[in-house]
Amino acid sequence: MPAYSGPTLALSLSIREVEAGYDAVRALHGVSLDIAQGETVVLLGTNGNGKSTLLKCVMGIVRPTSGSVALDLDGVAHDLTRLSTEEIVSLGVAMVPEGRRLFPRLTVEENLLLGAFRPQARADIRKNLAFCYETFKVLKERRRQLAGLMSGGQQQMLAIARALMSSPRLLLVDEPSVGLSPLLVSNTISMIKKLKDLYGLTVLMAEQNFHQAIRIADRGYIIVHGEIVFVGDVAALEQNELVKNYYLGTG
Amino acid sequence: MFSADLLANAVVAGVLLGGFYAAVAIGLAIVFGQLDIVNIAHPAFVIVGAFTAYILNSRFGFDPVLVGLLAAPVFFIAGVLLYRIYFIAFERTGQESLSGLAFFFGVMFIIEVSLIMAYGVDYRLVQADYIGRVWSIGFVDFPLRMLVPFSVSALLTAGIYLYLSRTFLGSAIQAVAQDRLALQLMGADPVRIKQWAFGLGIATAAIAGSLLIIIGPVEPSVGRQYIGRAFAIVVLGGMGSIPGMFIAALILGIVESMVSTFAGPSWSPAVAFGVLALTLALRPAGLFGRT
Repeated sequence: MPAYSGPTLALSLSIREVEAGYDAVRALHGVSLDIAQGETVVLLGTNGNGKSTLLKCVMGIVRPTSGSVALDLDGVAHDLTRLSTEEIVSLGVAMVPEGRRLFPRLTVEENLLLGAFRPQARADIRKNLAFCYETFKVLKERRRQLAGLMSGGQQQMLAIARALMSSPRLLLVDEPSVGLSPLLVSNTISMIKKLKDLYGLTVLMAEQNFHQAIRIADRGYIIVHGEIVFVGDVAALEQNELVKNYYLGTG
Repeated sequence: MFSADLLANAVVAGVLLGGFYAAVAIGLAIVFGQLDIVNIAHPAFVIVGAFTAYILNSRFGFDPVLVGLLAAPVFFIAGVLLYRIYFIAFERTGQESLSGLAFFFGVMFIIEVSLIMAYGVDYRLVQADYIGRVWSIGFVDFPLRMLVPFSVSALLTAGIYLYLSRTFLGSAIQAVAQDRLALQLMGADPVRIKQWAFGLGIATAAIAGSLLIIIGPVEPSVGRQYIGRAFAIVVLGGMGSIPGMFIAALILGIVESMVSTFAGPSWSPAVAFGVLALTLALRPAGLFGRT
């Protein structure tokens, strides 16, 4: 497997007291979250608690009404709440959206190439495409097939590979388990872990499948009704009462 | 009554006519086929293209095809501005389906009436030394007033096809109606992509118009005859497939030419709607549709 020689300089994301919502509905209440270079942080919570909204705030798709989202790159601070999604992608942030959101009537390869839409990503396009095809062999076999005709698991691989085409340094993954069988969820999580090691990625993953999520997590945040109710490392999470109640069924 | 040379000439005339239809339909293959914008004013822009060719040809003697190429960038800008208005007034608020249709209907009328007020309802034509000439191979005739539009249209189609399939912007144009949010996550601005694609679609109308007026005289309301044809071609070709659109245009041209030769010219306008109805009944995805 070709070693990925991506950027390895310092990165950190700092979310402070973010409030956000849709019209009259407040989805996030004073959410704060930190990620350091190379960490994998999971955002745990069931549906409708604000996980996706928080990731969308990082990508500039949802604008916080107050609070800050700051990305520190090699000592330079970027205020993501003032940047467009295009600019945020150019800084090296990519998101694998919930439900995969592929372009169903484009081929696998066309989907991948669109992942490198930003001018900054185009210089490395051959290298990244070779890397994706090496890592996800099924995508190479099916590169002329329409994305919409692939199975759910293959689509999830493609969605992740497409996000990698922009040479991201921070990868946001929104609910990779949605719509997949338990085996495929497990494969997907293993794949993210493998990529993280190969790629030197920093990962923020929103997930409701606790058991799968903690396999790759360094730390976790639990979000309930738009508020962070618990922060801790994996060991602390497993001991947490909320986790026991919500996920382990032992409460 | 039935003879081989009549049939051969009808087929050749149909291919040449169909090739020209592709030039009219290609803008819609982008705007309607790829972006899902029902721009029924597209043929009206083709007529503006034809009048531009007429004006510059009659005043300065410019070749109509050259005028089409020169006018294309101006049409591109007009298309971008029109999309801005459409976006701000309808698409942004999610009212594009019915209000948007009414908007383009209005645009069509404004264009048509403006041309009538400025130039009247008389037929206008262009002069070029190739227009009256005919090449003959055996008993088959190739009138240059048809062969030139066919050739220019084929080149235009090939160019647009390569652009859409080989460039980043081309892929983004194909992707924008499929998943707007996903395209945004790729770092592309969906509104700017659509605006660019709409401009490109309208730019092709400048070239199609110059071809239309080479084939025959044009008056401001002939654009209406092309609304049904152009939409039928885009649907038959498979909504947004450029090669499919070109083949569908040839089929429509051949069928129209045969019907006009063997059943009488008055039937030919019915062909487009017949083809459209049959397509929707038998193969709604069109010939080359990616479902």
